[in-house]
Amino acid sequence: MKMARQIISIFLIIFCFKTNAQNFVGKEGIITFFSEAPIENIQAVNKKVGAVYNASTSELVFSVKLEDFIFPKKLMQEHFNENYLESDIYPKSTFIGNIVELKENGYAKVNGKLNIHGVTNSITAEGILNNNKSNVVIKAKFSVKLEDYNIDIPKIVIYNIAEVIDVDVEIQLDKYEE
Amino acid sequence: MKNKSLFFLFLFLSFKVVAQENLLSLLNEKNETEYASYIFKGTKIVNGQSVEITSKNELKFNIQHRFGPINSGFYNLYGLDYAQVRFSFDYGVNNWMAIGIGRSSVSKTLDGNLKIKLIRQSKGNKNFPLTVVVNSALYLNQYTVEDRRKSSFLFTDQLIYSHQILIARKVNRDFSVQILPTFIHYNLIDKSSRKNNDNVSIGIGCRYKLSNRVSVNAETFPQIYNSMNDNVMSFGFDIETGGHVFQLHLSNSPAMIEPIFITETISNFFNGNIYFGFNISRVFTIKN
Repeated sequence: MKMARQIISIFLIIFCFKTNAQNFVGKEGIITFFSEAPIENIQAVNKKVGAVYNASTSELVFSVKLEDFIFPKKLMQEHFNENYLESDIYPKSTFIGNIVELKENGYAKVNGKLNIHGVTNSITAEGILNNNKSNVVIKAKFSVKLEDYNIDIPKIVIYNIAEVIDVDVEIQLDKYEE
Repeated sequence: MKNKSLFFLFLFLSFKVVAQENLLSLLNEKNETEYASYIFKGTKIVNGQSVEITSKNELKFNIQHRFGPINSGFYNLYGLDYAQVRFSFDYGVNNWMAIGIGRSSVSKTLDGNLKIKLIRQSKGNKNFPLTVVVNSALYLNQYTVEDRRKSSFLFTDQLIYSHQILIARKVNRDFSVQILPTFIHYNLIDKSSRKNNDNVSIGIGCRYKLSNRVSVNAETFPQIYNSMNDNVMSFGFDIETGGHVFQLHLSNSPAMIEPIFITETISNFFNGNIYFGFNISRVFTIKN
């Protein structure tokens, strides 16, 4: 009995460490988005992006708090939160996906579900994933069509806001330890 | 015994690992403080100040217009022939303080005010049910050149002070309510003017969002001390059009500054002595 308990203990120890070692977590990633429209170009930055990458299962998740996007003008930020993204109802945007392709030179392709404004869509994005053993650096670019996420732009500002927004992601993830 | 506790420790740890299958849970922040923002759309409810202050490093230019009484008939195009104006600039010094200057046309009054945010409504780590702002204003009610030539004239006779505590709560995403205890002091009053040197009023204001871009606002300032005039009552709409907020309202006072609309309202709202007015504001970012 004692022997059996010891074996199980050792097994559990290994299990713990093995699983822990696979996760990489980052909380200070940067997401920048650009809206190019005839009247004005708008750029907003979020420097509190969170992400987790599981190197053994290739799972990759992102979570972004919408109120952390900083705009050059406060009024734009207010409209973004109050009128377009309704961040009091949908405070966070998430991505849950998998790396489907990863080459030696760091090229990566990711497939997954992007949730913005309460709407979930499948997307594919390409980027770079560098695994440096102690940390992982991810860079990616993709675009978001506002219509796909029920984000309604009134006609009066149609020349101020682009229909398709370019999104730039950059994050460093460190090995996760309890 | 020691072995047994180790066993349970690792058993516990393993379960924790299993729970981490949902990778998103690794990102969950502990107890954050969530502040209530955008309690009102503008820095004013209708005429009275709201708890919103001009954002840091932003300059806001307001043009306020009030027409004549609606019941003045077709001859006056229901008041539209007549208009008074107030121009003002507001500047956000930092995240909790804003200053403003303005001038009203009819009463020839210059004014300056200072708004300081003391505490914000929040929940989570820090929990507080109300947003509290203090607003102090000084008004210079210019006398005519003739009056100023008189030997009895003192510069300070022209001064009026108003001090307010603005206490607001965002009840839900659509409805916000605010109370505005207000103290107004006139250095000098005309004996025939039906007002006191010191005037106290407890204002009440609220807004309800009809849509993401349109809200309906209401406010009143009951005078609670020796009042001889009517109390002001105003209703308005805030309409947001991209770069600026457009406010349309109806009030029984045509004035745009606190001393006059609180203590000098002489027309009764329900008798049709209503004035139509609008505010337009445009924001300029001075530096990033």
